[in-house]
Amino acid sequence: MKKFAVVLCVLLMLGSMAFAQGQTATAGKQLLKVGMVTDAGTIDDKSFNQGTWEGILKAQKEGLVEAKYLKPSGSTEADYLKEIGNLYDAGYRFIICPGFKFETTIFEAQDKYPAAKFVILDGEPHSADYSVFRIEKNVVGVYYAEQESGFLAGVAAALQVKTGEFGFIGGMEIPAVQKFNWGWQQGIKYANEKHGTKITIKAENVIYQGSFDNVAAGQQIAASMYDKGVNVIFAAAGGVGVGAINEAKARATAGKNVWIVGVDVDQYNDGVIPGGKSIILTSAMKYLDRASYDMIKHELAGTFPGGTVLRLNAQNDGIGIPVTNPNLSADVSAKVAEVFNMLKTGAVKVADTQVAGLFK
Amino acid sequence: MKIKFKSNTFLIAVSAVILGLVAGAILMASIGSNPFEGFYYLFRGGLMNVERIGNTIATAITLMLVGLSVAFAFKTGLFNIGAAGQMLVGGLCATLVAHYVFLPRPLYLIVIIAAALLGGGLWGVIPGLLKAKFNVHEVVATIMMNWIAYWSIYYFVPAYLKGPSLETESKSIAISQSLRSPWLTEIFGGGYINLGIFVAILAIILIKFILDKTTLGFELKAVGSNRFCAEYAGVKVNRNVIISMMIAGGLAGLAGMTYYTGYSRNIQIGVMPSMGFDGIAVALLGASSPIGVFFSALFFGMLQSGKGFMNAMTEVPPEIADTIIATIIYFTATSVLFKKFWDSVGKRIRTKRKDRADKAVAQEGKDNG
Repeated sequence: MKKFAVVLCVLLMLGSMAFAQGQTATAGKQLLKVGMVTDAGTIDDKSFNQGTWEGILKAQKEGLVEAKYLKPSGSTEADYLKEIGNLYDAGYRFIICPGFKFETTIFEAQDKYPAAKFVILDGEPHSADYSVFRIEKNVVGVYYAEQESGFLAGVAAALQVKTGEFGFIGGMEIPAVQKFNWGWQQGIKYANEKHGTKITIKAENVIYQGSFDNVAAGQQIAASMYDKGVNVIFAAAGGVGVGAINEAKARATAGKNVWIVGVDVDQYNDGVIPGGKSIILTSAMKYLDRASYDMIKHELAGTFPGGTVLRLNAQNDGIGIPVTNPNLSADVSAKVAEVFNMLKTGAVKVADTQVAGLFK
Repeated sequence: MKIKFKSNTFLIAVSAVILGLVAGAILMASIGSNPFEGFYYLFRGGLMNVERIGNTIATAITLMLVGLSVAFAFKTGLFNIGAAGQMLVGGLCATLVAHYVFLPRPLYLIVIIAAALLGGGLWGVIPGLLKAKFNVHEVVATIMMNWIAYWSIYYFVPAYLKGPSLETESKSIAISQSLRSPWLTEIFGGGYINLGIFVAILAIILIKFILDKTTLGFELKAVGSNRFCAEYAGVKVNRNVIISMMIAGGLAGLAGMTYYTGYSRNIQIGVMPSMGFDGIAVALLGASSPIGVFFSALFFGMLQSGKGFMNAMTEVPPEIADTIIATIIYFTATSVLFKKFWDSVGKRIRTKRKDRADKAVAQEGKDNG
């Protein structure tokens, strides 16, 4: 007992000494400290969080910044705001937040932390009831033209498969995901009309699961679609899409001809099955890493476009399909590149709303 | 005798916490981080300034009420694992009141508290009834009730409380209709602290009073310590089981109110509140006593709200912080081991003392003789 008490006392003393010293630990050259707060899901979600973080990591590898990400314990505004506070108190003055769910959070944070700069991907700050949209000089909002990205993927998939049945699995029914869906359907139509492909898509095979993290549900939905004869599913659904990818991998391993079109980032490597092939036909990408990297560069160069809302699309190379697509033939890739150029010049336009003839 | 027992439970709780922290320290050291630095920032993150203390308390409020709910059911020998569902339903009722009932503030607070109590109580009384009438085990029943609440809210919120664009959460409650209070916010310089703290403290006092000073409390405890004995002594066991689950549910419902109308100001669908389960650890660490729950909730609240700052200041990844908290919970859950350990230590000390006393007596006897 006495021994135990002695050990305890020694431990406590050591502890208090260490606590006292902990305060003066940081020194060295001052880099810009860039923080990121993750949206729902993990940092390696093969999607939104990961894409954003890779851009920040790139800047860190180049020795430009010191980076750190925090994962909130929940996904309420309070949770997000707390993590922003944690980053701020730890000296991070440049904070990147991926996801529309940060819109209301940043709306409050821009006033609370005027000394910090914020980048919000997929949104712009507004009040909770959408009555006030206000963006301060320390905030940049970034929107993507998901419809163009989905359009390109639709054209590419249709050209490659030529005849078949397509489907769509979305996460939550939010604008970013809806625009992917609408673009995807328009892309298929475009290929049918201009390039003579015979792709059909049925209303029953356009499904929003309702979350971004229900892997099991994604797998079930994909399974039922494949059972109904769907060949290619565009999964714009985060973790739900991971479930769809798993299902496609299982079926492809068993010799079935099924495909997934990935989302947000190049998901080719996630779809690799034994034998080295991947079931990811192509991916409808938003270049999240480019956006976060570019914003950091702007900040370092003193040209941070604070107070503005940026719209990234084909014109400014903000979206597209991966540079290399092993599952697309050279001919298809060339044709998609043509379409991409037409998007750039404005010769082809993709609607970002549910125009007549589109499902959901 | 009573004091001695109390100090024993205190000792058990403290040793669980210390061992949990030591295990966390080993974990941090094994990934190459300085554990002292880690804990320094963990505690600083929870207590650095008034705003952070406010956030710690805000987190603790919900944990307190859930912990109290679980502890109260424990006293009657019931394991209320359904606090999460009761929180959801209580929170939903409170949210409805916040959106549709406009009254002078004091009256409004009474109405919202009553609504939360009612909602949570309803969700607690059903497993209680099932247990009393059909002997359905309350663990199974409450878990099922959790999922019924989860999916009901999944459909109810988008249908009736939908926000302007978000399908996944209810529209947010105006500050004036929430539990937040301007003067509290001012004292703590922002943060999420809300009037729930007074609700929690009142509930703790009330529950302590019920357990220690009333016939009902005595009966509940009697049922908890030996059901059959209590029945033999003329206590209506079934009635007490139902009452106990109802009160436990009501308390968890209050926790839901403080969380959904004080802390977050909206309900998210597809999210089972993790506090519903953390509350079990709070109750265990607090040795199921209302006062113990008060302090253990504050401790967990501090860990919860401090971990983000630890992540920001050190290289300890966020996932490790959760692991550390889980380790502490694990050690609290195994508090029976500590009880045995301290009991054996106590026994050894007593026997030693007795030996010494015996020897002294013998010596004295010899001297005299």
